[in-house]
Amino acid sequence: MEETKTIAHEIGGIQNDALRFGLYGVKSDLIDSHPLQSSLASTKKTQEEMKRKVLANTYGSAFPLKTDLDRQILSRFQRPPGAIPSSMLGLEVLTGSLERFGPEDYLNDPRDSETFRPADMHHGMEVRLGLSKGPVCPMFI
Amino acid sequence: MSKAEIDFPPKGGFSFDLCKRNEMLIKKGVQPPSYRKTGTTIVGLIFQYCGFHSTFLEMLIGCLTKNFKEGGKTEDGVILGADTRATAGTIVCDKNCEKIHYMAPNIYCCGAGTAANTEAVTDMVSSQLQLHRYHTGCESRVITALMLLKSPLFNYQGYVQAALVLGGVDVTGPHLHTIYPHGLTDTLPFATMGSGSLAAMTVFESKYREGLTRDEGIQLVTEAICSGIFNDLGSGSNVDVCVITKGHKDYLRNHLLPNPRSYISPKGFLFPKKTGIDKFFGY
Repeated sequence: MEETKTIAHEIGGIQNDALRFGLYGVKSDLIDSHPLQSSLASTKKTQEEMKRKVLANTYGSAFPLKTDLDRQILSRFQRPPGAIPSSMLGLEVLTGSLERFGPEDYLNDPRDSETFRPADMHHGMEVRLGLSKGPVCPMFI
Repeated sequence: MSKAEIDFPPKGGFSFDLCKRNEMLIKKGVQPPSYRKTGTTIVGLIFQYCGFHSTFLEMLIGCLTKNFKEGGKTEDGVILGADTRATAGTIVCDKNCEKIHYMAPNIYCCGAGTAANTEAVTDMVSSQLQLHRYHTGCESRVITALMLLKSPLFNYQGYVQAALVLGGVDVTGPHLHTIYPHGLTDTLPFATMGSGSLAAMTVFESKYREGLTRDEGIQLVTEAICSGIFNDLGSGSNVDVCVITKGHKDYLRNHLLPNPRSYISPKGFLFPKKTGIDKFFGY
C-alpha cells in the first residue's frame, strides 16, 4: 500500500477541508455556506411530500405505499460500483425525472470535476456490504 | 444488505463548496470577477388588428368591390424588441449580442439581467418545452413556458438574475408576459424590462392603442427601443425585432442600425512600433 500524505476530508463526520467548508466551528455546523443550500434541499422533499399526500387523499393510502415500495426496490437495483455508473432508469421513470430537465443535467457534471476520482471497486463493495464507512463514490481525497 | 445505505450515483447541479472561501476572499478585499450583464431595453407588445372598415366610405367601397373577406381580416400576434449591447461593469463587451432567445417555434423570450443567467434559463426551459412536446405531441403554450420559467426563478430566491419578457402565439391566441428575477410574473398587452425600461415605457404609454396593425406595431417597438438606446447608458447599438403570428414568425435581426461606425479613417490607424500590430485597418 503506498503511503498517501493526504488527510481525509471527512473524519468522524467533521468536514475537514478548510478551503471548501471553512474553518470548523459550532457556527459553521448550524449555518450553511449559502442561504440557498438548505432551501434547495428541503424544497424537493416538501414537494414530494405534498404530492404523496394528494395521491393518498385521491386514491387511498395503499397507492402511495405501493409506489414507495417500488421506489425502494428500484433504487437498490444498481450496478456494482466501478467504472460504469448505474443509469437508474426504472427509478427515473417512476419519479418522472426521465422527462424533466434541470441544471443537474448539464451543470457540474461529476465526471468533469477537478477532483474526480476513478471509482474504487473494492472500497465500493466494502461499503455496500457494510464493512466500511463512507460514500460509495467519494468525491474528494 | 439491510445495513448498507442506498447510495445514488453522484449527480451534478449546484454545489456550494466554495461559498465560504469566496466570502472570506471578499472580506479580505479581493474583487469578485465582474460578469457580463445585459443592461438592456427589452420590450414586447400585442397587436390585434381587426380589419373592419372604419369609415362609411371605406365600407361602401368594400361592398362595391366585394372585398368582404379582406375587410373582415384579423391579424394578431406579438412583437418583441431588444437592443444589442452587453456590458461588463462600465465596458461594453458585446456591441451586437442577441437578446431574443428561442423557446419554441411559436414562443420567443427576451432576456435582461446577467447574460449567462438569461441564456442558461432560457435554454433549459426550451429543452423542457421540447421534451414536453415530444410527450404530448401538441404545440407548446405560452403559459407552460411561463410556469417553467417562474418556478426555478422563485426557488432560487432571485439569486439567478434573469428578467424576461416572454411572448408567443398559441392555440388560445397571442400572449405576452414579464417575469421578474424573484419569480413574479405579469400578463400585459405591452411590457418593457431592463435598465432602459422607463424610457421605452414612455413611448408605449403615449402611443400604444388597441387595434394596431403589424407595421404600426413594428414602428412603435422600434421607436421604444431607440428611446432606450439613446437615453439609457446600459442600452445601445442596434434594434432587434421579432414578430410572431399564428403559424409564422419573423426574426428581424438588426432591423435598425441607428449607430453606424462613421469614423473609420480610410488610411487606417498607425500605432507606435512597440504595439503588437503596426497598422490597424478598421473594419
